[in-house]
Amino acid sequence: MDTYTNIAWVIPLLPLAGFLVITALGRGFRAASVWVGSALSLASFVLSLLVLIERLKPNAVDYNNGFDWIRIGDYTLTIGFEVTNLTALMLVVVTLVGFLVNVYSAGYMKDDERITVFYGYVSLFSFSMLGLVLSDNMLSFYLFWELVGVCSFLLVGFWYARPAARAAAKKAFIVTRIGDAGLFLAILLLFWYMPEHSLSFTMIESVFDHQGGTITAGITTLIALLIFLGAVGKSGQFPLHVWLPDAMEGPTPISALIHAATMVAAGVFLVARTFDIFQASEAAMTTVAYVGAFTAIFAATIALAQNDMKRILAYSTISQLGFMMLALGLGSWTAGIFHLFTHAFFKALLFLGAGSVIHAVHTQNIQEMGGLGKSMRVTAWTFAIGALALSGIPPLSGFWSKDAILTVALEQNPLLFVVGLAAAFCTALYMTRLFVLVFLGKPKAAKASIAGAKESPAVMTAPLIALAALAVIAGFVETPWNGWFASWLSDEAGASHGSALAIVLSIAAGMLGIVSGWLLFGKRRERSGAGFAERMPGLVKLAENKYYIDEGYEAVFVKGLRGLGTALAAFDKYVIGGAVKLAGVCANAAGKLALRLQNGQVQTYSLAAVLGIVVIVIAIIGRRMLS
Amino acid sequence: MLPSYLTMAAILFCIGLYGALAKRNAIIVLLSLELMLNAVNLNLVAFSKYGVVPALTGQIFSIFTITVAAAEAAVAVAILIALFRSRGTVDVEAFDRMRR
Amino acid sequence: MSFLQDIPILSILLLVPLLGFIVILCLPKHRAGWLKTAAVITTLIPLALSLWLYADYDNKHGGEGYDESAAWLQIPINKETATNADTEMVFSFQYALGLDGLSLPLLLLTGIVTAMAALAAFHVKKRWKAFFSWFLLLEFGMLGVFLARDVFLFFIFFEITLVATYFLIGIWGYYNKEKAANRFLIYNGLGSAIMLIAFVMLVNTAGFRIEETAAGAYQYIYSGSYADIAANMADPNAFVNLPAEATGGVNPFQMSDGMMWTVFILLLVAFGIKLPIFPFHTWMLKVHQEAPPSVVMIHSGVLLKMGAYGLIRFGLFLFPEQAREWAGVLAVLGVVNLLYGAILAFRQNEFKLVLAYSSISHMGIVLIGLAAFNEIGLQGAIFQLVSHGLISALLFLIVGSLYERTGTTELTELGGLARSMPFMSGVLLAAGLASLGLPGLSGFVGEFLSLLGLFESMRWVTAVAVLGIILTAVYVLRSVLKMTFGPQKETFAALKDARFIEALPMIVLLAFIVLLGCYPSALTDTVDFSVDGFMKLLLATRSGG
Repeated sequence: MDTYTNIAWVIPLLPLAGFLVITALGRGFRAASVWVGSALSLASFVLSLLVLIERLKPNAVDYNNGFDWIRIGDYTLTIGFEVTNLTALMLVVVTLVGFLVNVYSAGYMKDDERITVFYGYVSLFSFSMLGLVLSDNMLSFYLFWELVGVCSFLLVGFWYARPAARAAAKKAFIVTRIGDAGLFLAILLLFWYMPEHSLSFTMIESVFDHQGGTITAGITTLIALLIFLGAVGKSGQFPLHVWLPDAMEGPTPISALIHAATMVAAGVFLVARTFDIFQASEAAMTTVAYVGAFTAIFAATIALAQNDMKRILAYSTISQLGFMMLALGLGSWTAGIFHLFTHAFFKALLFLGAGSVIHAVHTQNIQEMGGLGKSMRVTAWTFAIGALALSGIPPLSGFWSKDAILTVALEQNPLLFVVGLAAAFCTALYMTRLFVLVFLGKPKAAKASIAGAKESPAVMTAPLIALAALAVIAGFVETPWNGWFASWLSDEAGASHGSALAIVLSIAAGMLGIVSGWLLFGKRRERSGAGFAERMPGLVKLAENKYYIDEGYEAVFVKGLRGLGTALAAFDKYVIGGAVKLAGVCANAAGKLALRLQNGQVQTYSLAAVLGIVVIVIAIIGRRMLS
Repeated sequence: MLPSYLTMAAILFCIGLYGALAKRNAIIVLLSLELMLNAVNLNLVAFSKYGVVPALTGQIFSIFTITVAAAEAAVAVAILIALFRSRGTVDVEAFDRMRR
Repeated sequence: MSFLQDIPILSILLLVPLLGFIVILCLPKHRAGWLKTAAVITTLIPLALSLWLYADYDNKHGGEGYDESAAWLQIPINKETATNADTEMVFSFQYALGLDGLSLPLLLLTGIVTAMAALAAFHVKKRWKAFFSWFLLLEFGMLGVFLARDVFLFFIFFEITLVATYFLIGIWGYYNKEKAANRFLIYNGLGSAIMLIAFVMLVNTAGFRIEETAAGAYQYIYSGSYADIAANMADPNAFVNLPAEATGGVNPFQMSDGMMWTVFILLLVAFGIKLPIFPFHTWMLKVHQEAPPSVVMIHSGVLLKMGAYGLIRFGLFLFPEQAREWAGVLAVLGVVNLLYGAILAFRQNEFKLVLAYSSISHMGIVLIGLAAFNEIGLQGAIFQLVSHGLISALLFLIVGSLYERTGTTELTELGGLARSMPFMSGVLLAAGLASLGLPGLSGFVGEFLSLLGLFESMRWVTAVAVLGIILTAVYVLRSVLKMTFGPQKETFAALKDARFIEALPMIVLLAFIVLLGCYPSALTDTVDFSVDGFMKLLLATRSGG
């Protein structure tokens, strides 16, 4: 019956095979690696689609299977896969974007000498990400969670010769590792608190579903917050967001695949997957909602002042992930996943479009660009669609999902609604700024590459068009009048509740953002944004420098660790090493003392021997006489 | 009778010991060693005659000792002559090269 | 067991390196090729045998049937101290070999690491004959340590490794080799002396056994046999049921509480030096820095593990109660090792020193696993031993190859090596990732199981220890990326990547690391029986006491 669902475990193995083949072939087989990578990702996409189609049937039963990974006495740790509606959806998103990025990279990375390595890494990433999506328990989830992290690290540092790439890769790994440590602790807690030491998501659901179970409220909150820490690290939420903008040092297709559509959304996916734990704890939910909302507005304001095309998109990603977290924290995980779903398409589109631009003009500074709309029509149009979708303009997909979140916010917490609305306004504003500065007007820098920019080859524009189409239509699965998506996802009868107020305000925020963006940046094309910057120099500078968070971390953590290291190194050298030396010196001194006796005179030695004998004799006699 | 022999031997031994430990001249040290050996011989003979179980073994043993002592004295004097040739002295305090 | 039951397989395994040693002695000293081939072939035999043993080992029944023993030394003792004038008293030491789930993985580790180190010994440029003689003697000693089932035999093998390592470091090391070798010998000699004292105390108390001779008299035996000692420690009342004329009416097994504690602490210090436990770690730094690559592979891959092995075999298995009471101390020491090593590794600018401190840090995880006192933690500790053995051997192998090319291991002078040496940089990165505990590679499993185990009893200590996984990532990435990433230095542009003979051991080691990381049951199932036995023992002492 569920033929494809039963063999869902093949889906991640296809890219793994791709990775192994490409690595084994080595660097000579450039074209082959492209073909292998793309073909296998297409195959896994087709299979995922078939699985999804099977899941669309009403009342499809969740399927899971696995094997024992470690058996220790009575404890068993398993690795398994599980197919639910949520995972099926994620499978399709990941494989689709993955496939398109594979195709796109054939053009983007064409001239790179390590293109085979690139395709190998991308395949490895696809494997890990799909494994993560399919995982049926926390442990295997964590395994793949770390693996996607390391793939991200490898790809961010792909151009390893650049010091910036090296620093960014290191930062990406270490900052997310801080979150991972939280997730690690959460797994330890779950292992010892869950009945039968089970870590499976199904079990988590059944245990935490009804409150007041075997696990106390305090522990529940602790577990939820630790899991959330992991999600914060991976999804670039405040205060662990600092790695994501730097990660833009990687090749742009990677930014689209990993740092926009899939891996960074894994944090949201994690919270959704363990949502029952969060629901069991009021405090955790509030934390998630507020962190999400704060990140949304915080990152959006930074995006306003950035000049690097990819960094703007990166901050936008952080902000949108904040929206998803906000939805989760407000209790509507379907809205969060909905936004994840639409965001994957339009943000991947934006990144790939940015890649297309960068590929043509060889710079990322938007202040140098301008007027590219004429020479790069396909890129400009698809980018515009993506930007509008992101800004939340109906009827594009971003509008529906953002509206779903804002509707929930309006119902639950007006304060968060206002924050979300402000973030939506900023989103529209910075996207307008970006679009205007890049595609409209005249080139600002006298660079031949900008003036003579050519449209990218078809192998790069085709994925753009495909994603643009998806960015337009993906939102219709769930509208205020049709709650099909949410009810399919959560297996609950969907009560679609539109709120006219939310819709109106959301559209208004988006439109207002675009209009004010046009007024601020469109009219003064020659001196972009100068008017605003002149009026509030301090604020702009603050945002431009990302609120000095990086500098703060540098001062506190990096310097702190280095200082601690220096102190301990001194301790190691002088106190412990000193103690060892002291022992050595003492032994030496004792030896020197004894050496006095060794004067080389046989007579002295024999005198000592005689005295010794006398002492022994006296001792023996004395003992005899005493006893 | 035995005690007087033993006392005599002890006195001889102590003189020998003193000479071996305190004298600087290597020849005297050598002579003192002979003195100690002979003190032992005296003991052996005394015990074999007046001991608890008198037997000839002790006296035969002492002859062995005398032989060995003679051989030893020969070797020792040979070494001493060699030393004297190389160092020009028979002062035992000069012979501390092993230490350096 | 199989058809080979009657063949003394363990003795063969043990004696092969000794045979190779003799063969090497017979070869002419200027034929480097012959000598090296002989050495490599000799190391491959124990590897093959231990692999076969591993495959043949029955996980459900432990090491039964593998024991081999023969009388070795019988030393009569003065009767004055005997309670009964008729009884004979002897010290008895046996040539006893055995196998269980604890020693088998380490045996295999020894086989792998030694064979790979022999393959990697191309850096030896002088006195090949002496080098390979000492090398094989070292392997003989290591195999003996893991096989011996008699404390005296164990001690002798332990000392053989010490002497062999001393010469290997002192003759073929880098600039300060003599100093490093001396420091190694003195510090470890001190540890051995303490160990010997503990063993003497054990033989004179727990090693006691009464045997009825053919003539009907009784013989009091003070034995070094591990089986006897373990049996007595597990059941102190074994002699009560013997007839009165045998025991002289009193229980001859007398081991006071104070005595137990003394022996336990002595063992802890002795093996703690070898492990090394903070603050006994300073000797190791110089050794890691100065020893030649193939020796430091063995040193960090196997020799350090002997400390942990001894701690488990003698400290934990014989004194479960004392160890349990000190679980908190062990855990804190483990966490201190872990964090202290990590922070100091972060501060070093010499890659070998980074690795040295990293070893300290990783041995902390072993202690953490041991301190857990449950099956998971113990399994984690043993897993970490094997895993770290493979990983550090691989890392030092690469370091050796790099040093041969670049002439330096200073992080500040290196950079961009990935350009001229993509293969070695890739393997180095993989080894680094394994070391920082990336899932799918072996390092993660040991780390995860150890922390999981400890978490049951000591929540907060574990929470602090988890900081270690962040710090580990920090220092590993810092040093590895400094070497391989970044702009290429002019001077290193013309360097060649690994030759086949260098690449082979790297691939083999990496393959084992991946295998253990992906399929940890291959190791945990083997260890399971022994750990299970220990848990039962622990339960028994807890309910009994």
